[in-house]
Amino acid sequence: MSRFFRGGDDSSTDSSSEEEDVYTSEEEEEEKAQVEDESSSEEESDEDESEEESSEDEDEGPKKKGASRFLQSDDESEEDEDEQSDDEATTKVKSAKDKRFDELESTISQIQNGQKINDWSLIANEFDKLNRQVVKLQDGSKAPKSYIKAIADLEDFMNETLAKQKVTPKKMNATNARGLNAVKQRIRKNNKEYQSQIDAYRKDSDAFMESDEEVPAPKAAPKVRFEAPVVSAEQQEEDDKGFSTVDSRGKVVQYTPESILKHLRTIIESRGKKNTDRLEQIKVMETLNKVVPITPYQKIRVLQTLISARFDLGAGGAAQMPLDQWKAAERDLASLLEILEKEKDHVVVEGAEEWDDDEKLPTIAEGEKYLKVPGSIVSLIERLDDELTRSLQAIDPHTSEYIDRLTDEGSLYNTIFRGLLYYEQLRKDASLEVPQESLNRIIQRRLDHVYYKPAQVVKILEENAWKQVSAEADSEITPRSQSGDAGKLINILSNYLFENSEGIIRARAMLCQIYFLALHDEYYKSRDLMLTSHLQETIANFDIATQILYNRTLVQVGLCAFRKGLVYDAQNTLQEICGSGRQKELLAQGVMIQRYSQVTPEQERLEKQRQLPFHMHINLELLECVYLTCSMLLEIPLLAQTGSSPDVKKRIISKTYRRMLEYHERQIFTGPPENTRDHVMQASKALAAGEWKKATDFIHSIKIWDLMPNTEDIKTMLAKQIQEEGLRTYLFTYAPFYDTLAIATLSAMFELDSRKVSAVVSKMISHEELAAALDQVTETVIFRKGVELSRLQSLALTLSDKASSLIETNERTLEQKTQGSANAFSRKDNRGGGQRGGGQRGGRGGARTGGNPQRQAGGTQFTGGALGNAVRG
Amino acid sequence: MASTTPATNGDAAPANYDLVLKLAPHLDRHMIFPLLEFNASRLKEDQTDKAREILAAKYALLKKTNMTDYVANLYCELEGLKEPPAEYADRRQKVFHQLEKYEQETAKITELLQRDDVVNNLRSDKVANLEFLKKEHDVTIDMVNALYDFGQLQYSCGNYADASELLYRFRVLSTDNDKVSYATWGRLACEILSMSWESAMEELHKVREGIDAKLANNALAQLQHRTQLVHWALFPLFNYDKAREPLLDLFFNAGFINTIQANSPWILRYLTVAVITNRGRAKNAGVQQKQMKDIVRIVKQEAYEYQDPVTRFVHALCIDFDFEEAQHQLVLAEEVLRSDFFLLAHADDFVDSARHLIFESYCKIHARISLKDLSARLGLNNDDAEKWIVNLIRDTRLDAKIDYKEGTVVMNHPPSSVYQQVIERTKGGFFRTQVLTAAVAR
Repeated sequence: MSRFFRGGDDSSTDSSSEEEDVYTSEEEEEEKAQVEDESSSEEESDEDESEEESSEDEDEGPKKKGASRFLQSDDESEEDEDEQSDDEATTKVKSAKDKRFDELESTISQIQNGQKINDWSLIANEFDKLNRQVVKLQDGSKAPKSYIKAIADLEDFMNETLAKQKVTPKKMNATNARGLNAVKQRIRKNNKEYQSQIDAYRKDSDAFMESDEEVPAPKAAPKVRFEAPVVSAEQQEEDDKGFSTVDSRGKVVQYTPESILKHLRTIIESRGKKNTDRLEQIKVMETLNKVVPITPYQKIRVLQTLISARFDLGAGGAAQMPLDQWKAAERDLASLLEILEKEKDHVVVEGAEEWDDDEKLPTIAEGEKYLKVPGSIVSLIERLDDELTRSLQAIDPHTSEYIDRLTDEGSLYNTIFRGLLYYEQLRKDASLEVPQESLNRIIQRRLDHVYYKPAQVVKILEENAWKQVSAEADSEITPRSQSGDAGKLINILSNYLFENSEGIIRARAMLCQIYFLALHDEYYKSRDLMLTSHLQETIANFDIATQILYNRTLVQVGLCAFRKGLVYDAQNTLQEICGSGRQKELLAQGVMIQRYSQVTPEQERLEKQRQLPFHMHINLELLECVYLTCSMLLEIPLLAQTGSSPDVKKRIISKTYRRMLEYHERQIFTGPPENTRDHVMQASKALAAGEWKKATDFIHSIKIWDLMPNTEDIKTMLAKQIQEEGLRTYLFTYAPFYDTLAIATLSAMFELDSRKVSAVVSKMISHEELAAALDQVTETVIFRKGVELSRLQSLALTLSDKASSLIETNERTLEQKTQGSANAFSRKDNRGGGQRGGGQRGGRGGARTGGNPQRQAGGTQFTGGALGNAVRG
Repeated sequence: MASTTPATNGDAAPANYDLVLKLAPHLDRHMIFPLLEFNASRLKEDQTDKAREILAAKYALLKKTNMTDYVANLYCELEGLKEPPAEYADRRQKVFHQLEKYEQETAKITELLQRDDVVNNLRSDKVANLEFLKKEHDVTIDMVNALYDFGQLQYSCGNYADASELLYRFRVLSTDNDKVSYATWGRLACEILSMSWESAMEELHKVREGIDAKLANNALAQLQHRTQLVHWALFPLFNYDKAREPLLDLFFNAGFINTIQANSPWILRYLTVAVITNRGRAKNAGVQQKQMKDIVRIVKQEAYEYQDPVTRFVHALCIDFDFEEAQHQLVLAEEVLRSDFFLLAHADDFVDSARHLIFESYCKIHARISLKDLSARLGLNNDDAEKWIVNLIRDTRLDAKIDYKEGTVVMNHPPSSVYQQVIERTKGGFFRTQVLTAAVAR
């Protein structure tokens, strides 16, 4: 009916009252039908009746409504322009449809007339017409409310008639019967489409129609926005003065403390149904929240429902929650926690009994210490957290908006913290039986917010969190005294989770701890933890989010190793992630566009959901730079060592690196390096040629090192590494051309201490990488001659290698099959920390016995660049 | 069993590497005592403060034991009293009472076990044994348990041999698995303290089996027990030559080496010394080499957690190939060894073996070495060094010659033949395949 207000404001009262009549008669009929059908529950019909009465009593309703509407719209125009313009937009759209609505309405009234005189042929005709009209009016899947009402009533009426017919022997005339049959068939088919809406209507016709009215005329309803508490207060006063807030149907809505629960119930019941205006409900609840005096119980209930309703706004589809709603939800949650902290005898626990009686307030039962309210704080907090993440995902990270949004994390952290305190307090009382899991979940959330942050930032977060709680409040798990030290905090949180949880939460707790340690340069600790966790064996069984966390942790440990100067470990750790070429995907820092893969929109959506917000990202370029540099330091000496002999081809440390190197080699003209990759490649080339200084220059000119803490230290470390590896490469490459080399010359050439040079040479000799010996008297390296192998010999060696590896593979297969029962074969002692340390590096060199540096003396392999041949040949 | 004790610091330099504090938590209080004694014995005359400290530590250590006389003496010494206070007499009385009480309780069972006709009737089945004793001789389970308690009391009083005997008897009869394993630990302690190494080794194996079998599903307990066992095993390791090889095998066993790495890296010092000094003695050179390789790897891995001159020596020599540093560390290591309770006796041995080790890897890398330089490096004078090298060349069949005129040692490194390599690599193939087929057939 409110549509009519819009159509012609002058005739509003008339038409609406007419409409009212129509409705009441309809409702009466419906009432009858209900009684006969006795399908719906009594309670509902009672309610209907009472409401009907009230609506009938209120003749003056519309006028009052008009008045209050004006009042409100005045307020409104001042306070919210957005809303206004929004309304205007809708007005325009609706008015274009007005005619059709009128048509529809008249058809419906025709049907109703037909019902009254039992003229089924008329009904059948009109019904067809109705269906045609409604198609034009449908927006989306929603059909107009009046239509739904009409068809629902029609169906009821039809059923009724059919039932009557069975009882009475009197026959209908032929045309009537035909019409009835036609309607019967069509209505069955037709109503199926709108089943959900019809159900909603049947269940609570009043609420259904109410929400119907609210769509076209939002202004008519009581509008109190949370931005303007003053207005709502006025509203309350006006109530007292004889004005009262009315709902769309002209009924006076009285928000009294007594009726709060009832209102809540209607709202809760309409939740999740189509065409409920959530914003509207939120506003209603905000009003409810402000009604004084209010008991803690009511307040808790209102806040709970309010927060859930706000979350509902963001539900469905990819749309994130509106910013203001998020903030409001955060505030509401905070005040909910505050109430709970204050009112110690009210507790919110999952699985508590619902209080069914709306009329009177629940009281604390005999022998019970608490008044239990059903609900879950932790779920609300989790939802709040998720919503923030979702909105961060959607915002362009390079705008100031992102930064603004990010500041909300602080208040979110505070909420999480308070929630934690609350749950701790609940846990203290064993009788409440708060599940451990809730506490775990909230601690997990807290950990999730701190683990990737530097200690200083965590400290600030913590300080703020402690500031907002009262001074005497203290946490058992994370005592106030410990809060200053971020490392300790992380340790406590993750240890707590580790002890009190299992499965994924436990794994995540460990990973968070490792991540934090790695971030703070505690390489050995993080590595040991990583190894003792044995996650690398089981990670594939976890969910994707945990796998992403695992990848992130792995990368962080690798970066930490690099900062420590442990090139081998760094490369080894990063290999798995960076070697795949899918870093972005593995770290959830961007969706890869795959050319040939078929990704369903569903998968794509999930993928998008998993993305981490920008502030949690690990710099991919830095990562690549570290990985390539490490690969270079390991690969170049190896390439030089293996030369062009066939049997050592297979030893490739990093395929990605080799591929890039190959590509780089193929280029005919190489310009000055532009990006990180170019720099590393050109450095590699220089290093392979023994020009370590040039290599150092190239590496040092990479800009991204500046992102690392202690840039200078890292550069010095790299320079040192390059010197050493350069020396090794030089020896490998040029050994065949020398009989002897003076240590002093080498030391001058590489600007290394002569002691260091002889140490490096000794190491190489000892590991049999170099066929040489030192002469102590003359301080020279003497290269042995005649160690080159003939082709046959080297092939024989390869064959024997293959044979032994075959046996080993067989043994391993059998061992796997028999699940380790055949321990007879475990030749290597399978130590728990299989990957520990870099001992393998030496071991690897040592294991390969015999003259490895084999190359045909004076061969042609150096003419085209040592590197090129090594890669190609 | 073990408890932390306020242990002492020795004197300046080697004191930094004193491990008593670290070892103590994993040892029994009776075992810590000799360590303290040793520390006290090394003090010089003027260090009365330290001596007093050690005395106090000793007192604190033994206060809880039942060696009342000795404790009373210690107390007097500590407080400067002539006569021990009355409470000690009291306690002494009490202990005597207890001893008597247990003696009576166990008299019967002891007597029974000494009778041939009874012993001959015992089988390997414990339940049946108990049943038999119950039926024939009215032995109750309480009496058996009294044996255990009595053993504990005896041990606490310092009568290790008696305690051992009692626990042995208990173990024969008892069916309580937990108590049996405690008794095994107890016996091990007794045997160690009474220095009967052979039976100590037996007990050690029993304990080890117990750890491997019974605690298999409790990783933490396994770790703790292994740590303790490793510490206790140090006593036989350095005091009983025959125990050395089996113990080294034990230490290098995957579970135990992990324990050492994870829980008690300081054991690496002892392990390193044991391996290095073991070189000439080992029957199987291959095993020794493998152990050496392992120790090098582990020392490298644990370098961030534990370092002392001994491990640093290994690190310098075998990982960095810095011979000067190795030499320097060797000097320090010798000092450390001489101030270590376990290693004192092996200091010379270690230095000698370490020299061999240095020389060996030196020779491997160098083609020509100046004799003068070498002698300086080995810390010997020219003639001695020459003699030493000649002996070495003879012993180890090194392919080296001394050029007397030049004053150099010339090494000859024949390149290993390719054919030899091929043979080496394919050597085990047949055997392994056979084992494989056998396993498949099973």
